[in-house]
Amino acid sequence: MHPVGMLLSAMTTVRRWAGLAAFPGIAALVNGEFGMRTLLLVGLAFLVLALLSAVWGVLSWRATTYRISGGAFHLKRGVLQKSERSLPLEHVQSVNTVQGIVQRVFGVVELRLEAAGGAGEPEVSLSALSRPAARGLREELTRSRKNLDEAGEVGEEPSPTVLRKLSTGELLVAGLTSGQIGVAVSVVAGGSQILDNILPAGLAERLSETLLPRTLFAALLLVLFVALFAWLLAIFGTVLAHAGFTLSRSADGKYLHIKRGLLNRYETTVPIARIQAVRLVEGALRQPLGLAALRVESAGFGTEEGVSTVLFPLLRRSEAEDFLSAAAPLFAAPLSSLAPLPARARGRYAFRSSIPALVVAVPLAVFLFPWGLLALLLVPPAALYGLLRHRAAGYALNKDRVVLRTRRLARTTVVAPRERLQSRGYSVSPIQKRRDLATLEIEVASGRGGTAFRLVDLASGAARGIVDALSTRAGRPEEGEKRPA
Amino acid sequence: MLQALPILAGGALGSYVLYRNEVPAYLAALPTLGALALAVLFVVFLPPLLWRRWRYEIRLLEVDLQRGLLRVTRTLVPMARVQHVDTRQGPLQRRFGLSTVVFYTAAGPNEIPQLASGTAAEVRDRIAELTREADEL
Repeated sequence: MHPVGMLLSAMTTVRRWAGLAAFPGIAALVNGEFGMRTLLLVGLAFLVLALLSAVWGVLSWRATTYRISGGAFHLKRGVLQKSERSLPLEHVQSVNTVQGIVQRVFGVVELRLEAAGGAGEPEVSLSALSRPAARGLREELTRSRKNLDEAGEVGEEPSPTVLRKLSTGELLVAGLTSGQIGVAVSVVAGGSQILDNILPAGLAERLSETLLPRTLFAALLLVLFVALFAWLLAIFGTVLAHAGFTLSRSADGKYLHIKRGLLNRYETTVPIARIQAVRLVEGALRQPLGLAALRVESAGFGTEEGVSTVLFPLLRRSEAEDFLSAAAPLFAAPLSSLAPLPARARGRYAFRSSIPALVVAVPLAVFLFPWGLLALLLVPPAALYGLLRHRAAGYALNKDRVVLRTRRLARTTVVAPRERLQSRGYSVSPIQKRRDLATLEIEVASGRGGTAFRLVDLASGAARGIVDALSTRAGRPEEGEKRPA
Repeated sequence: MLQALPILAGGALGSYVLYRNEVPAYLAALPTLGALALAVLFVVFLPPLLWRRWRYEIRLLEVDLQRGLLRVTRTLVPMARVQHVDTRQGPLQRRFGLSTVVFYTAAGPNEIPQLASGTAAEVRDRIAELTREADEL
């Protein structure tokens, strides 16, 4: 490994021990009333800690070695307790690189090997490799893996074709329209509460006194300010995560490579054969502009259940199908002409969305009689939201692919091919039965577990039709990878 | 049956609160009686109905499950997606010679509850065998 590994290892050690040492250290400082001697003592302790960490870093750097032999990746490490881990190459699902700030400064990368069913931590993580070493290792891994697949046919790995790159303009638009404003608002709100506690009480009082005559105006201004700040945060977050987003496909067409990140650089490999479903997410701000993001659900890859990866953060809705036929052809279904839900489901959508509003509003209206009635004003917007959800929802069946569209706030379209479905089914509640409606549910694998996609209130005949049409028929190739794309 | 215990506890608590608030005894007893009625419904009447509505069919290429009294749910699981099959038996189930068949796909477990142990073993072996065939297909 690259010598910077020493530094990184030392830093993790310091970080681990600093947490433990901080409390007694602070306690000693406070007890000693910040006298010169205690200050010195604590400083000395810290120095010793740093020194020990440095030594430890050097030792563990020297102890860590890796090699590829006999169809497996071997990692040796450990200073006192030696350990050797072997990871068979056919179990390696993806090879990812991450570059943190320190690693960027020194021009090294962290290489992570993830195996099938990997939970939490990556199976193997090499914290500091120089760029050429990482590339070499990567190539060696692909080559050995290929040797396992089909003996012979060793050659220079042709470089992957870049499918698409996110331009700076698009990046900014992605930030401006990212729907994460809600999250950011809550962060800001939490922050302002803390600020409230920290600010001297007198100041807050004086502030409110001067502001009191114009409270409403001030409150409005504050809300506006918070929203603006949250928006900026969301833009900033998007830029950090997605700057320089590049999607490319390996020459053999089996892997997708994603590169992204402004400060931390991420390089992720997604095996196409492990993609289970594709989601086109049209955020509330993006849909009117005809823009959307693409995400994929992949199996045995994420760290927890139901993890999805951003395949591309921003593209035009109309381009999505072509984009997919280049990136993952199995999922390239037409996304425009979906069958809408029957009109008789409209009332049910409106009612279901208004339930929360009714639960709040009805008791208020009853108990605080004249003024409580105002709460009923909540109901029409909720019902309207339900109607919008009804209008957005739709489904289609296209060459053994199910396409389901639903709306929460964002409109989401899911494409799942028959060969990726873990189960499918429908349920009919008594009320649905009377109206001849049903709820369709399909399950795909995702991360360690599964994700279910549901479409509520389509005609029960249609639900049955989709479930039947997706049945496994004998005499067909079963695995998607073997089918001609 | 175990679902009934919290209901009973809730009813008793309701009665106790009412009683402490000096509500006449016959009114205070209402929650307990209501809970008792619900519990009887859950323990005596509901299980046989639900049991009668449970259907499973193991076909060559798929497992077909259908259940539910009011909300009827049907699920189809392709054989080729089944990863492994278990039978499970709790202490009570052992007393009555029952087992639950659980088969796993990459998306999680599916259950066929309360089969006679012999049948459960047959079902398990059949699914396992068909899964292998489907994989070879």
